[in-house]
Amino acid sequence: MSRLIAVRILQAVPVILIVSVLAFLLITLLPGDPAVLIAGDQASPEAILAVRHNLGLDKPLTEQLAIWFLHLLHGDFGSSLMLNQSVLSAMGERLPVTLSLAALSILITLPVGIFAGVIAAYYRQTWIDSFVMTLALLGVSVPAFWIAILSILFFGVYLRWLPTSGYTPFLPNPALWLRSLVLPALMLSLFQIGFLARMTRSAMLEALGQDFVRTARAKGLSEWKAVGKHAFRNALILIVTAIGILLSTAIGGSVVLEQVFALPGVGRLVVQGILARDYPLVQGVMLIYGFAFVVINLSVDLLYTLLDPRVRYD
Amino acid sequence: MAVLGRRDFMHGALAVAGAVLPSLRSGRALADPKKGGALAYASVSGPGSLDPHVSSSLVELEVIHNVFEPLVTLDNANATKTMLAASVSASPDCKTYTFQLRKGVKFHNGDEMTSADVQASMERYGRVSPNAANLAGVDRYETPDPYTFVIHLKEPNVVLLDVMKAPIFPFMILPASQKDKPSRGIDVIGTGPFTLGEWVKDSHLVVKRFDNYTPDLTSPGRDGYAGRKTAYLDSVRFRFMPEATTRIAALQTDEVQLASSIPPELRAQIESRPELAIREIFPLGGTYIIVNSQYGLTANRTIRQAIAAAIDIGEITEAVGGVNKPNPWMSYPNTPYYPGAKTPSPWYDQKNPQRAKELLSQAGYKNEKLIIETNGNYQWMRTTMLVVAEQLKAIGMNVDVHMVDWTTNASHMQQGLGEWNLSTTLFGPEHILGPQQWRPLIYAFANIKGDDALDAAYKAFFSEPDLNKRRELWVKIEDEVLGGGYFIKIADAGRLWAYAKKLHGQSDYPGILQLWDIWLA
Repeated sequence: MSRLIAVRILQAVPVILIVSVLAFLLITLLPGDPAVLIAGDQASPEAILAVRHNLGLDKPLTEQLAIWFLHLLHGDFGSSLMLNQSVLSAMGERLPVTLSLAALSILITLPVGIFAGVIAAYYRQTWIDSFVMTLALLGVSVPAFWIAILSILFFGVYLRWLPTSGYTPFLPNPALWLRSLVLPALMLSLFQIGFLARMTRSAMLEALGQDFVRTARAKGLSEWKAVGKHAFRNALILIVTAIGILLSTAIGGSVVLEQVFALPGVGRLVVQGILARDYPLVQGVMLIYGFAFVVINLSVDLLYTLLDPRVRYD
Repeated sequence: MAVLGRRDFMHGALAVAGAVLPSLRSGRALADPKKGGALAYASVSGPGSLDPHVSSSLVELEVIHNVFEPLVTLDNANATKTMLAASVSASPDCKTYTFQLRKGVKFHNGDEMTSADVQASMERYGRVSPNAANLAGVDRYETPDPYTFVIHLKEPNVVLLDVMKAPIFPFMILPASQKDKPSRGIDVIGTGPFTLGEWVKDSHLVVKRFDNYTPDLTSPGRDGYAGRKTAYLDSVRFRFMPEATTRIAALQTDEVQLASSIPPELRAQIESRPELAIREIFPLGGTYIIVNSQYGLTANRTIRQAIAAAIDIGEITEAVGGVNKPNPWMSYPNTPYYPGAKTPSPWYDQKNPQRAKELLSQAGYKNEKLIIETNGNYQWMRTTMLVVAEQLKAIGMNVDVHMVDWTTNASHMQQGLGEWNLSTTLFGPEHILGPQQWRPLIYAFANIKGDDALDAAYKAFFSEPDLNKRRELWVKIEDEVLGGGYFIKIADAGRLWAYAKKLHGQSDYPGILQLWDIWLA
């Protein structure tokens, strides 16, 4: 097992490097100049040149990339052009917000999505199945931006149950932290619940049609045991794969919701970084995100071995 | 030597002759001012830095102008007025400027501001500011005593104070200890009525009342960015909310009491609530069609004039909506260089397709492609250019509209890059300051090279000591810029803000956010 982990981490190194180089090339290929944003919309050409020089943007691209990699070897992710702050520190300040949002949304998604999928599969081709799957389809189809604004107007403005926007850190006041994240986490989990319910239903339908479930029922096991223990456990491989995807989308999906709910997270940082052509920031975030996705995929692979003893990587 | 004190500055040699003050109300409030309370303000985004010497971003300047103060600044009529200086005098040859500083002014760290701080700030500005070219003519600084600061210039400069009062890249005074701090690396210590409190980037920023603030007691009250400032609020919390709907929702639930940048289509939603109101910030800037004078078709002056002849401003402003008022000139009414409504402006709002067609024919136009570049970030820019495209198609031009993002669009205009003939932008509030601030913008955005008439008019302007003659020269410059089809003026534009009616005392001055002299009932 430890060999597997070491090999997968080593395999991830070139992946992450390719991701970061691609991120660098893509953002530098975009027209537009970060110096213009920093110097201002109405800055003179001389002012823009001065900013470019101060930031080292007048150096050839290959040199900028080489400098960045050299710093990376020393654990230095560089400094954000727009924030005048180290990329790691900028990420560090915002990561708790994004992770809190992602974790809370996953906590909502897992029980609701799995339960909905199991129920839909168990009552397949009944009105319950149709009802649950219609809701799931709505969940994956409704634009997050639109439903988020509606939720602010309904829960925030009309009912006054929850704050309309903003973030309160966990430590000073966990209750306020929860209140500030409930609405965005709910909105983020709408898509995830829909996706997980559909995946769970599909996996459960396949499992419920297998001989071992028929056998379990024939032996006189309760429906709870036949479905909950035998069918569900066999469906878990697919469900865990779906959860891995959900973790990735939870981080990616936070971009829109952080914008709407004014949450100071990494997603909003990336959007600002791209708009400002903040090369070091976008590269740094891509690198860390790339690493996070590799870790998620590796964790999913390892979970397979726990769920199904027949799975062996060696 | 002309001496310009605080009270008589308006009557000095560099002040506005005959400027008519708008009938500004002293405030919106009927209630008496009340000390205390915490205001929450919903802003579109947060500052990246609070270094005034390198700042041109509005969200940064909204904090900076409440925390720092300059030697001279703008009054209600946009004329020069002293702030940290008690008086300013210029030598007859305009090569030496002497600033007498106000005594007893305290920085937020408790130290008194002296001429050493002023000199250190000016030297730092010259080292780090993108606007440092404006100090290129400085020969040396002198501090004969703690309350006197002298600027010696290599050449006469009649508009030095006009440059120094600029609210963008402002010449704010920092403690001398900040002199060697790098760009965007200062400790945020000013002399303003508010001090910096907690700042969580992308989330919120808090400024707190500076109880040891030293107001300018010689002024009866606030006056533009100058005058006697009184901080009533205990603190102001800037909350950064990119979405307009979220800002309005927060206002409706009293999570914030002031919100910036309200889209015109949401105005009615605010006004339908009795506890909320809309404030028009006007003029915020002037909107222009920018014509690239170095690319393809529009390198031809007659083609540029044909385009200007075809433009119907009314159609554009109607499509764009919001707060727009026609004004042919590049200076606002009630500012020093505004030439008056009766001065002929034949190049403005011509809506004359017949004349445009004749000019096209005269220029030998043969259906070559005209490229309009606009962006998806600013709806008004996109709408403007789509209307312009239709107006130009109507005179028989072959028009192609290219959509890019604002960063690209702005880079192309500011650096003369890319393939485009027409684009659009908003200039402001910098250009309320006059022709000297306009100069780099005119040349850069329209990509002007080799226009002898314009060069000569500007040269004459900078060497003319008489204000009235400079105003005439400015009209000549505008005639060349607008009549030559480099810029096509659309309108003066404003912005909508929303606020809770319990917030009193907001100024009618259309400047950057001012947190002094406002209070919560």
